[in-house]
Amino acid sequence: MKSASKKALFKKNVPLMLMFAPALAYYLIFRYLPIGGLVISFENYNFFDGVFHSPWVGFKNFEMLFSNDKTIRIIWNTLWLSVLNLVVGFPVPIVLALMINSVRRSWYKRFVQTVVYLPHFFSWVIVGGMVITLFSMESSFLNHWIEDKYGEPYPFLYKTLSWVTIFVGSGVWKEMGFSTIIYLAALTSISPALYEAAALDGASKWKQTWHVTLPGIRGTIILVLILSMGRVLEVGFDQIYNLRNAMVSDISEVISTYIYTLGIQGGQFSLTTALGLFESVVAFILILGANLIAKKFNNNLF
Amino acid sequence: MRESYGDKITRIGISILLLLISISCLAPVINILSISFSGKQAVESGKVLLWPIDVTLQSYSALFEGTRVLASLWNGVVMTVGGVVISMVFTICAAYPLSKGYFYGRRTFTLMLLFTMVFTGGLIPTYLVVKSLGLIDSYWAIWMPGAVSTYNMLIMRSYFEGIEPEIEEAARIDGCREMSLLFRIVLPLSMPVIATLILFYGVGYWNNFMNVLIYINSTEKYTITVLIQQMIASQQLLTESLANDTSALELVPEGIKSAGIIVLILPMVLIYPFLQKYFVKGVMLGSVKG
Repeated sequence: MKSASKKALFKKNVPLMLMFAPALAYYLIFRYLPIGGLVISFENYNFFDGVFHSPWVGFKNFEMLFSNDKTIRIIWNTLWLSVLNLVVGFPVPIVLALMINSVRRSWYKRFVQTVVYLPHFFSWVIVGGMVITLFSMESSFLNHWIEDKYGEPYPFLYKTLSWVTIFVGSGVWKEMGFSTIIYLAALTSISPALYEAAALDGASKWKQTWHVTLPGIRGTIILVLILSMGRVLEVGFDQIYNLRNAMVSDISEVISTYIYTLGIQGGQFSLTTALGLFESVVAFILILGANLIAKKFNNNLF
Repeated sequence: MRESYGDKITRIGISILLLLISISCLAPVINILSISFSGKQAVESGKVLLWPIDVTLQSYSALFEGTRVLASLWNGVVMTVGGVVISMVFTICAAYPLSKGYFYGRRTFTLMLLFTMVFTGGLIPTYLVVKSLGLIDSYWAIWMPGAVSTYNMLIMRSYFEGIEPEIEEAARIDGCREMSLLFRIVLPLSMPVIATLILFYGVGYWNNFMNVLIYINSTEKYTITVLIQQMIASQQLLTESLANDTSALELVPEGIKSAGIIVLILPMVLIYPFLQKYFVKGVMLGSVKG
């Protein structure tokens, strides 16, 4: 009997295994092989000798990275820009979701949602084009207005402070609406009875938000925070590439653009892989760390 | 229950604030649209804001006749459609077995896939794998490394797991085999999640910029996203491609760039209203199970 059911189970598994095979092959070749390929960060990789025969150099690539002022500055740039992105970009969708949730007229709610989700679907090429149109020196409406009023246009995209503001602001603008979806989903799961009880006890709308709504979506907030922790050393390539210009190259060179320029275009594979490994390891530690902290509050992800 | 005076003020304030936020999301699009339809003089003097001045189609005719935009538009469509098909096939191949409790090694394989969400080999090692497979300068170099998004795969798996087991049992009793179970029962029941993922993958491929830049070398294979980026980045390119055109003197690069951006946005804006209800559901599905 037992062997018969085992046989039936195996028979049910055969098509599943056949089906899973291509997916498994994909993960092994395009996800795990590159992880194995990280070994070249300890080598002086060249095409002729390949991964297996290139000369072994130990931690020399890492020493080179961390003794070079330029790479140190690039790592700091990446850290600063992404921390700014996180600190500004994280609370905005929560507040926006609370605001949308409080709207009573359903047609207005739907209109706002439809409109604020839209920028998420624009690529950074589009957003970059819009930013240049809005803030350029030559033909932007804004700068012509400023010129009329104050005599000369303001170089928004060429000054570090205003560029960083535009950089962070455009990221928030693009993703704030779409990021509300997950919070709005969590908000619908809060029982209306809690609000009724709070209202009966005389709690104002503000108090209800603070004592009912926010605790109700705490789990979701922590989940999103953990996931964004893993991206602290990651400034999206598309975002920076489409917004930067030569005048702000001091602040706008980050790890991803540096790996592209030096690695793909310059052929320095070992050095840039070492930088990539550093980025991956930091991201991994941050995710595990954030999860560990969340565990203390019983909200861990895994 | 009557609302207090303070609550009423707050509510009106929130409505106005939301209106301003909505305008901020629409205004840049309308601004670009207006510029693309405006005449040279009005654009150069920065007069165009939310409606076109001296309405003309010059920018569009210059864009379509003077640049490679039509060919790159076709490339973008080919890359997107091909990519969506490949991604959906691979994602279903991963998600369906992992949604079955009796699948051998389900736990191990799930962990193995999840690990790639928190640790990756990074750009250069992936590039070297793609290069050693000889995929450089073909769309396979874009399709294969990103064939499965593990996040999307998890959304699909959760959806498959949510299908009533009774339906499957009934089908099995009727003699339905594993594969026909998938094609005749599971997939037809999963249309919402399939639509969501088609949208997610489609937008991803259409907007893909970095991978085309890295893996595609020949300019005649550039997709529209990359072509428009190059137009925005270098006025030079635009001026050169317009040089053979004698009427080009009448044109402003700003207008042509804006027309390009509109062409790039258009497919997104057209399909967006139809798919909105699906992707909201999709994101919610993903948030139920991490």
